[in-house]
Amino acid sequence: MTNISKEHSDRLYWLGRYTERFFITLRSLDKLYDRMIDGRHGYTEYLGYFGLPDKYKDSHDFIHSFLYDGSNQNSAAYSLERAYDNGIVLREEISTKTLSFLQMAKDTLISSQSKANVRLSLLPLKDILYSFWGSVNEHIYDDEIRNIIYIGKTIERLDLYMRMKYPFATVEKEFIRLCKNLHRVPKDTPYRYNTKYLCTVVEILGTEDDYKLGSDKAIQSLEHLFDPMEATV
Amino acid sequence: MTQQNNKQFTKPVGNADEINELLRRYGVKFGIYKNGVFNEQFFPFDPIPRVISSEDFKSIEKGLVQRVNALNEFLFDIYHDKNIVKDGIIPENFIYISKGYLAQCEGITPRNKIYSHISGIDLVQAKDGEWYILEDNLRIPSGASYPLIARELTRIAAPHASSENEIIDNRNYARLLKETMEYANCGGISAILTPGRYNAAYFEHSYLAEHTGSVLVQNDELFVEDNILYQRTYSGGKTRIGVLYRRIADEYLDPLTFLPESLIGIPNLMEAYRSGNVGIINAPGNGVADDKGIYYFVPKMIKYYLGEEPILKNAPTYLPFYEDDMKYVMEKIDKLVIKDVAEAGGYGVVFGRNLTKEKLEEFRKTIIAEPRRFIAQEVIDFLDLPILEEGETVMRKADLRAFVLSGETTKVWASGLTRFSRNPDSFVVNSSQGGGFKDTWVLK
Amino acid sequence: MKKLNFSFSTKLTFDDYVHDHSFALRIIPPDTEAQKILSCSLNISPTVSTKQTVDAFGNNVTAGYIHGDHRFLDFDIKGTAEVDSTKHSSSLMPCYLYQSEFTAPDDGLIKFYSELKDKYNGNAPEKAVYFSDILSDLIEYKKGVTTTATTAAEAFALRAGVCQDFSHILISLLRMDGIPARYIAGLAFCDGETHSWVEYWTGDHWEGIDPANNCPVNDDYLVISMGRDFRDCAIDRGVMFGRYTQQLQLVRSLLT
Repeated sequence: MTNISKEHSDRLYWLGRYTERFFITLRSLDKLYDRMIDGRHGYTEYLGYFGLPDKYKDSHDFIHSFLYDGSNQNSAAYSLERAYDNGIVLREEISTKTLSFLQMAKDTLISSQSKANVRLSLLPLKDILYSFWGSVNEHIYDDEIRNIIYIGKTIERLDLYMRMKYPFATVEKEFIRLCKNLHRVPKDTPYRYNTKYLCTVVEILGTEDDYKLGSDKAIQSLEHLFDPMEATV
Repeated sequence: MTQQNNKQFTKPVGNADEINELLRRYGVKFGIYKNGVFNEQFFPFDPIPRVISSEDFKSIEKGLVQRVNALNEFLFDIYHDKNIVKDGIIPENFIYISKGYLAQCEGITPRNKIYSHISGIDLVQAKDGEWYILEDNLRIPSGASYPLIARELTRIAAPHASSENEIIDNRNYARLLKETMEYANCGGISAILTPGRYNAAYFEHSYLAEHTGSVLVQNDELFVEDNILYQRTYSGGKTRIGVLYRRIADEYLDPLTFLPESLIGIPNLMEAYRSGNVGIINAPGNGVADDKGIYYFVPKMIKYYLGEEPILKNAPTYLPFYEDDMKYVMEKIDKLVIKDVAEAGGYGVVFGRNLTKEKLEEFRKTIIAEPRRFIAQEVIDFLDLPILEEGETVMRKADLRAFVLSGETTKVWASGLTRFSRNPDSFVVNSSQGGGFKDTWVLK
Repeated sequence: MKKLNFSFSTKLTFDDYVHDHSFALRIIPPDTEAQKILSCSLNISPTVSTKQTVDAFGNNVTAGYIHGDHRFLDFDIKGTAEVDSTKHSSSLMPCYLYQSEFTAPDDGLIKFYSELKDKYNGNAPEKAVYFSDILSDLIEYKKGVTTTATTAAEAFALRAGVCQDFSHILISLLRMDGIPARYIAGLAFCDGETHSWVEYWTGDHWEGIDPANNCPVNDDYLVISMGRDFRDCAIDRGVMFGRYTQQLQLVRSLLT
């Protein structure tokens, strides 16, 4: 199965990223919902993480947009649609069964909109996503290929955690996970890391103090992690 | 073939909503463009199966094998010696005016002389039980994936139906297709070429790739080097492709042989094919054999190439090209259905009875001016099939697309795509025109 | 019978790097009844591995693929041939009787033919000469008004064109008259580039006629490729990727 094109390897990577972005967005919104019960409003902080302007009437307006508004590029609906877009062309790699979980997630998200208790009706999405990852494990036989989707997943997680100022211990764990994934990538393939940028991330995530000072730079370096390496003379 | 051994099943199998829900979940869709915007639609499934008796199927099967074998002989003949023209069976201009005839394919002999590996033959059953061939589709007939997945899901939703009825399992289609592809393989992996996810049949392309273990490819990852077709892999290597089941039309296949402006083709694919280094399913140039004008001659082909009497009948057809037929068509035009040979997908079909006197007169003139452009057929009194509409059983027109696979032997898939019209007055059943589909049971 | 030395070169230059460049050349003259190729060498630069096939119309096709970045593609042939225009090829593909993409007439050309057809009676060679005479009076040989994509109908409406257009119009008229005709691309003494002329079916064999010069084809014509119209005969066809905005083609040919 290593007969996979560059296009499909990129699709796998982005399938991993968007599925994870969807998942973390949902989780974050769920936390905000929880705060709203006590009358606290945390969404301006959330917007701040991503440098987004506050154009929302209230928390409900914000949550509605970040859950369902497909034209909002930071919404759960948008990430899920992109995940599906990447998944739909990977049927023979990830299988119809794996793909069906994304379709189910879409259907569940849409139908939750009309339910009285949105949080409750979003709950099955967790089961669906865990099943999705289980199915990915089951159906992608080639380790090299499966690793690409996990690299996407972990990079996304690390990126969002750093943006959302997660504690160092949590970020460090995910970083170690990423390093394990990266070491499995054979040389001279597109998802082999660029040493220069990986070194920067390694330095910044070395200590808690460096992380607090340099997380922006670490985020930038992550974006360039798969840039082709400059030829050394 | 009589009606009583073809008892119609009128009960729905399983709950229609449940099955449609499952079909949704598994993404059984077809794409459609409306006002320039791409939409994916779910292909509506009707839970009342069409049932074909064992006896009926045996005769259809024999007839289809015979027909497809003759069509394959015809294609070889046309692109080589053209004996059927020299012997006066088919007038020369029917071949060369056909848009499906590709002079660039002259002299090419595909592996094992098979041109039509996958043939989709459309049939209808008349009220008297007789089956008629409506048209042959020998280019890229689509639709096999729908009954395939519908059966899979119906067995989940309504297991009793399968245990209580003696139905031939149709889930062998992927295996039949795989064998057919392997038989046409010239060395290398199998690939299915799709124009991309915004194609109407993208679901089918990806589903068949998954189930035949082929790679699903687009043109930008393929290239021809030293007249061998390769896929460029993500690590910069290349993998040889031995057979390409392409789901794009002939004209777009190779911009260096056909339309230079094609952006979805593979340059020099035809050179690789001509050199025998890659099999193409179905062979380019097949359009000459499924032209509506050539349809008239298929029974004659069967006699000519196989020395046999045709088992399955054509719908009674007239060619205005012939003087006697022209006379008949002019007299009976209000009773006939007229088809424009250049159109497909349910377009260009006119029922004389629906036209006003003035329109009929106008149409007569058009036919006289361009007799080769039209065929006329008697309107067959279709056997209506029951379908479920909002809980009620109603009767609708339906056809059957049978799939015939030509590999080492010619085989008919014991199922098929039954499409029905949702409009009670319509005879047109194409999915692009809003129809639905049913499972097709062939009994053991 | 005449012995000819021929040479032909094309330089394609792009204004930016291109890659994944596939090409099909119809440049090696075929052996036919009327011409024997005694020697022929083909050089292509940048160096690339190629394969030869013979297409449906009997042309030699050289196919190649250049993966990496390059800014030019040059190819040239040199060789000698023995030409004998008293000999004729006598195998007919029926498709030559039917109009093809570049020769399909429009109303203007159909009207022109229908006014012409009753004025003259004769066999195929006489008709071909007659049509060629009429065209040479009516159509002006003029460079720059038509392109390689111009059809017979378009050139006829302009009443002007180059050898390719003369050939297409003549083929269209002959086919309307029920005479099979084919397009020839080749080299001739009169031209520094490639030339085009027509062959028509006499009922027994193919015979050449040069409508742009309104003269019969003799031993000074070397056939490079043939087909229903220009599209089947293009000396080079290619597909490439890159950010180039234009390509420059220089062609030089010599016949001695």
